[in-house]
Amino acid sequence: MTTKESTQAVDAGMPSFSDVCEGWHRAAENLDRFNRMLTTDAKIAQTPKEVVWTLNKAKLYHYIPVVPEQDRKPVPLFMVFAIMNRPHVLDLRPGHSFVEYMLRHGYDLYLLDWGEPGPEDKNMCFDDYTLEYLPRAIRKFKSISGAEEFSMLGWCLGALISTMYAALRPDDGLKNLMLLTAPLDFSDQEAGGFTRWSSNPAFNANTIVEKLGNVPGEMIDSGAKMLKPIENYFGSYSMLWDKIENPGTVEAWHAMNTWVRDIIPMAGGAYKQLINELYKENKLVKGTLQLRGETVDLKKLKANLFNVIAEADHITPPCQSESIMDLVGSEDKELFRVRGGHIGIMAGRGAEKNTWPHMESWLSARSGG
Amino acid sequence: MSQSKDNQTFDPFDPTGMLKQMRDSNMESWSKIMTDFVNTEAYAESTGAMLDAWLTTSGPFRKAMESSMAQAMAQLNMPTRDDITRLAERLTNIEMRLDDLDARLSEGASSNDTQATN
Repeated sequence: MTTKESTQAVDAGMPSFSDVCEGWHRAAENLDRFNRMLTTDAKIAQTPKEVVWTLNKAKLYHYIPVVPEQDRKPVPLFMVFAIMNRPHVLDLRPGHSFVEYMLRHGYDLYLLDWGEPGPEDKNMCFDDYTLEYLPRAIRKFKSISGAEEFSMLGWCLGALISTMYAALRPDDGLKNLMLLTAPLDFSDQEAGGFTRWSSNPAFNANTIVEKLGNVPGEMIDSGAKMLKPIENYFGSYSMLWDKIENPGTVEAWHAMNTWVRDIIPMAGGAYKQLINELYKENKLVKGTLQLRGETVDLKKLKANLFNVIAEADHITPPCQSESIMDLVGSEDKELFRVRGGHIGIMAGRGAEKNTWPHMESWLSARSGG
Repeated sequence: MSQSKDNQTFDPFDPTGMLKQMRDSNMESWSKIMTDFVNTEAYAESTGAMLDAWLTTSGPFRKAMESSMAQAMAQLNMPTRDDITRLAERLTNIEMRLDDLDARLSEGASSNDTQATN
């Protein structure tokens, strides 16, 4: 194309040849970046930590404190994550990590990672998690930190385990209990897809566990994604494509996708218990749930309670967490509602400005010696 | 006005432009339709039935495979998956006892230290 022709093309509103080449080159680069985001892992969970205890697949991490000892809070914080995901979302990426945030505010921080159950763990149930593993991890962490009192943060099924532990062992030194999107009350059988699906007679958790042993991570992951199929199978990727030239958004998406892709199975025994005794029979709230022969009585839960609810949570709808406030024996208790979804409230862009400061200020006021 | 007219024309630099337009205009309604759909009894029932059918039909194949593998391993004097699983369960039990012993020893050591200091 001569200069004269090119000028004529621009005048006529047509793109020049070099513009077309540049546009396609950029599109190819974007496609390459998009592909990399989907197929590679970002560096997540980078905050320095040490393993201080192990039992079977479970590991207890101690994060290396970043403030001098005299400035640290006397009451350490023990974090318990769900049993069917990795806990890395608490420490997603440098500069945007709840762990980093709490370390900066002077907390002595421990994290219990349940690990990935193997075939030999297929019979593990909430009795084991709550009364065998958790008390042993707490015993170890108390011996290392030297603290008599501690705070505990539980998220999702980790919050369920923490609640049961707090009710069964109220005199074990637990001072503050923070629950995040805790699935506890299943009295509304029409709230949320999981409740609806599992309450259907055609859904048989016993058969699944009998045939498969542990429930494959892929099955749990696709179940969670099917609760909002358009957003999860299409919206998330189209959003990435829209923002592919924005490094900040791409980095955040990559880190989150790395965590989401890293799926683990759920122990068969715990899955059966969750579906049959909790989702279907709602035993915890009815006061009939027994672990190792001990009845879980929520009235015995005495620790100060901070209950965080995500208003747009489709995995744990708010009604599954709210009623706990009237059932526990705690005198100091607060319900905190956050706009956002199950994971977004802690790992989304607004978490650092909204959720984390509220949690920290509540805990700080109760973490004195 | 001219902006909206521009949006409706095909842009050769952006091969996904048309998809984006479709998405922007339909995503919210599609999302609501699908979310409502997966929350119906019919969906719950069909998913449960499909899962059950898959587990039932794949069960015999899995069992046959496991049994032939077990026989092959026995012929080779090698442990089967079940043997390893049982061994791992026993190891976990031992690990728990060791953990309890470790805790008792630590407690004993710290109380001895306290007595020595006093």
